[in-house]
Amino acid sequence: MYHFNFQPIFDNFDMLLHGAWLTVRLSLMAMVFGLIVSVLGAVAKTSGIRPLRWLVDLYVEVIRNTPFLIQIFFIFFGLPAIGIAMSPNTAALVALVVNVGAYGTEIIRAGIESIPQGQIEAGRALALSRVQILRHVVLKPALRNIYPALTSQFIYLMLTSSVVSVISANDLASAGADLNAKSFASFEVYLVLTVMYFLLAAGFSAVFAMIRRVAFSYPASR
Amino acid sequence: MKLNRRLFATLAASALAAGLAGPVLATDLAAIESAGTVKIGMLVDFPPFGILDTAGKPDGYDADVAKALGDYLGVKADIVPVTGPNRIPYLLSGQVDVLVASLGITKERAEKVNFSKPYAGISIAVYGDKATALADAAALSGQGIAVTRASTQDTGVTKVAPADADIRRFDDDASAVQALMSGQVKLIGASNVVMSQVNAAAGDRFDKKFDLSSQVQGIAVAPGSDALLEKINAFVVQAKSDGMLDKVHEKWLGGPLPEFVKTAE
Repeated sequence: MYHFNFQPIFDNFDMLLHGAWLTVRLSLMAMVFGLIVSVLGAVAKTSGIRPLRWLVDLYVEVIRNTPFLIQIFFIFFGLPAIGIAMSPNTAALVALVVNVGAYGTEIIRAGIESIPQGQIEAGRALALSRVQILRHVVLKPALRNIYPALTSQFIYLMLTSSVVSVISANDLASAGADLNAKSFASFEVYLVLTVMYFLLAAGFSAVFAMIRRVAFSYPASR
Repeated sequence: MKLNRRLFATLAASALAAGLAGPVLATDLAAIESAGTVKIGMLVDFPPFGILDTAGKPDGYDADVAKALGDYLGVKADIVPVTGPNRIPYLLSGQVDVLVASLGITKERAEKVNFSKPYAGISIAVYGDKATALADAAALSGQGIAVTRASTQDTGVTKVAPADADIRRFDDDASAVQALMSGQVKLIGASNVVMSQVNAAAGDRFDKKFDLSSQVQGIAVAPGSDALLEKINAFVVQAKSDGMLDKVHEKWLGGPLPEFVKTAE
């Protein structure tokens, strides 16, 4: 009979809390930068400028058809060979941004393509500039349309960030692994980690729902 | 007859108890010489000490030592693959006569088996780029050093390093080594076994900075094989002095037998 022993976890809970904070910070930064990459990628892809579209297509296909683990290994262990050496935490952030950027590009492209041509023409009829049309007539409604897909991708990103410990970056999973190595209470540690990741995901969901109510609550006619 | 029956029951019970405790069936030198073979237990999952070659035959540092030991005893060496947890039971139950199984000499084990003089050793040390000067553990302050999470070197480095050393924990030896090779860290806590493989791949980019701990390994026999142990000790002494162990060590681990093995008693 296995005897549960949560004492080492209570004794070292600050370790796990610090790890959770690192995961939140890493995920938030990856989401912000990832969103920027995604919007740029989607705009480039729908711009009609061919070489730009091919470039983005190549990026999206390469990233979406290779495992994240390999991408992060490549960035951390491979890039120093051509003189680009990053600290583990930076490399983890870059890998996450590059990864989520590819998925986000496709999601936002789908949103942009969901905007009817007539809506853009309506913008032109109102004498809006190209930038104004892109911002108010295309991007905002596009984001509203694909908001659920984008946020679930972001939550998936937060969960994926748990593998960054393979390049010795610090996050909740690596804090858990360190505590496990110290206490040998594997089952207890991973049970607590599971609960913590679940709570983090639930927290992000709640925040995303709030943002949605504030930013996208205007009435739409469709 | 009642008494006899009770006596029989007592005898049977004690025989059973002895059986459960593991009878020590030592085979001494005379029996081995008359049989013409010595059964030598060896790990085959512990490279480069014990491996299986492409033909599925035991090979490695231990295999070479085991064969040389057979030659020294003037009998055929019959290598029996054993595993880490069952190697001492194999020896104590008489299924092998000798263990050349990378068995680290510890006080606990010495209570169960008799060890020869050390024939091999594993040392844990801090290694790094030749250009990086590092005199002692205090100099790790502010430096990045790769280790394998929860390994002996992790424990060792964590114990001696100052609080502001940047200890980077990787999930396995390969990743920690990769961090060193790609220049992501300048230092690594690793064993001489791992570093011999690294140096084989990377030339002589890295050197040893300072030792953390070492563990010597001995050839083991069951208690009661005193004549055999004496002969094995003579073998080890000769193998150390005539360079045989140096040569085998060079072949499998690159470099002669480490000094701490030669000087250890």
